Amino acid sequence: MLSLGENDMNDTFIITAKNIHRSFTSGDLVTHVLRGIDVSVRTGEFVAIMGKSGAGKSTLMYQLSVLDRPTDGSLRIDGADVLSLSESEQTRFRLNTLGYVFQDYALVPDLSARENVMVPLLMRGMSWEEAKHKSDTAIDDVGLKGKYRNLPSQLSGGEQQRVAIARAIAGSPKIIFADEPTANLDSISGKAIIELLDCLHRNGQTIVMVTHEEEYAAGCDRIIFMEDGLVVREKKQS
Amino acid sequence: MVSLRSPEMYTPVTQSLLRSMRALRLGLLLGFRQIQRASLWTTLLIIFVMMFTFLNLIAVSGILVGLIVGSERAVREISLGDIVMSPRDDEDNILETPTILREIGTYPEVIAYSARYTDSGVLEANYSERRDLSAERDIASVRVTGVDIEREDTMTGLRSYIVDGEYLDPNEEGQILIGVYYIEEYAQQFGDIFETVEGISPGSTVRLTNGSISKEFTVKGIVQSKVDEINLNTFIPEREFRRLFGRNDQNADQIVMRLVTPETNSEMKQTLLDAGFGPYAKIQTFEESLPKFLIDIKNTFNLLGTFIGSIGIIVASITIFIIIFINALSRRRHIGILKGIGVETHAIEIAYVLQAAFYALIGSLLGALLTYGFLIPYFDANPIKFPFSDGILVAPPEETFYKFLILFGITLIAGYLPAKLITRQNTLNAILGRK
Repeated sequence: MLSLGENDMNDTFIITAKNIHRSFTSGDLVTHVLRGIDVSVRTGEFVAIMGKSGAGKSTLMYQLSVLDRPTDGSLRIDGADVLSLSESEQTRFRLNTLGYVFQDYALVPDLSARENVMVPLLMRGMSWEEAKHKSDTAIDDVGLKGKYRNLPSQLSGGEQQRVAIARAIAGSPKIIFADEPTANLDSISGKAIIELLDCLHRNGQTIVMVTHEEEYAAGCDRIIFMEDGLVVREKKQS
Repeated sequence: MVSLRSPEMYTPVTQSLLRSMRALRLGLLLGFRQIQRASLWTTLLIIFVMMFTFLNLIAVSGILVGLIVGSERAVREISLGDIVMSPRDDEDNILETPTILREIGTYPEVIAYSARYTDSGVLEANYSERRDLSAERDIASVRVTGVDIEREDTMTGLRSYIVDGEYLDPNEEGQILIGVYYIEEYAQQFGDIFETVEGISPGSTVRLTNGSISKEFTVKGIVQSKVDEINLNTFIPEREFRRLFGRNDQNADQIVMRLVTPETNSEMKQTLLDAGFGPYAKIQTFEESLPKFLIDIKNTFNLLGTFIGSIGIIVASITIFIIIFINALSRRRHIGILKGIGVETHAIEIAYVLQAAFYALIGSLLGALLTYGFLIPYFDANPIKFPFSDGILVAPPEETFYKFLILFGITLIAGYLPAKLITRQNTLNAILGRK
């Protein structure tokens, strides 16, 4: 049983992005990857962003997750105008408000599973013991009880991704961003990860996930389809 | 639930301080684990480099300075002792010498002393075989020192520097010791630097002339040491010196003393001044009596050693820079991810600085162990033989500590800079591996 978030599912938008543009310049060549996107995500919503390769779905997620800065547009997350924050303020914002699950797990190879989960907690100022306790609880929650001391190299891909999820949820973030979290996993492990995210969502966690597999997006509240840097369609699911 | 106090409860300064402390704690964890999980051979290699850098910094200047210190030590042991009395600037000799000597003999701090009478004379050899009076005479201008034979031996161990023949006998007259640099067979390696006489060996007869007075001596022994005061000298008993040079007032040119505890020579100097000897002689500690050029050479060698050591530091700092840079570059993506999940760059930088600090500390510790545990005792027991001194390794702990601090500081900077270069890169670019 996940002991996550107390976010109530309601109609307030936790993410409001308006007219988001992102372009990249290389010499004289300007590539417009996002061309004016409006996206809103409700508190407690599980949103999937889908699209073909090059559609701009990952780029959109980087903007929404404050890992990148749009060329133009406005972005409010949890009431904060994140684009007006300095880089160090954005770092603190990500630490305190957001959780991340990356495609290739992105664990620190020198740290054990427990320490990987503890990193953001220690950065937030928790005591060592408190961070350890929270970390162990999160690792238990993702089904890796007893593997606290294992290094990432001693875990399978699916287990590493579970540790990454434990790291994302341990600090009770307002939103979890998952960037193709199943891409490097076999179908069984992939399904297990999606079930885990789904379980978090059922407990009220807001999740934004990029995926290119419709099967994995089936359990989401809403699917945003992208093409050529634009949102072309949205599909609400019951 | 994150049980944190609201940041608004703290002042901006306190918040900044708290963040720094968190960054430090996390940086230490990341750095410690990186060291722990690093390849053992790589770690050993880096520590090895740092150890040799430390040795380069300490040992090169230590050996150079050791040459001079070895020379000083030899002069102190063989010639000047711990306290040196010499004529006041306005006098030719030490006044009231017999009174001073009597008084010195009563001080328990003084274990040995010797009064020396010095002048210059002409040493002539092979004069009895000389048949052609127009031929060049075999002569050399020499320094002549008259000593109390027993006291001088107790003071400097002059007897032990005899390389041929025997030491002077207090019951014999007309005997002389000659320093090797006055004898052609010994001094020829130096070319024509010294005035020499030829064919001298124990039992040879030589003539010592002062003005119009000459006296014949039998060579009793030939003396050689690391100190020119022995090699460029001739020794005869003091009573014969006084007769030859007409020094009937018994006022010496130098009185040297050896103390029970050499380090207390400043206190002893003060005691002698308090005893009222100041008006009769210039009283100096050994250190004060050293010629300025020797101190200048020592400082120059120290500077030279530090300069050579500095090159070592630059090489080491570049090495550390490259190691940390490659290390950080290879973990660029992880650094990006850490930043992405909210870890402040200071924490990541601290992790790399900690690694650099670890290499510098362990390398320096091993270097210090090698220096103080092996090299210094080894060179003390087996000095490097130089013509003018026995070279030892000199590494005063406080100086070593300062040099360590310099090495440590520069290493920290060399560790910080590459970490800074990598952490300042765009977070997303680092995560995605983009340039």
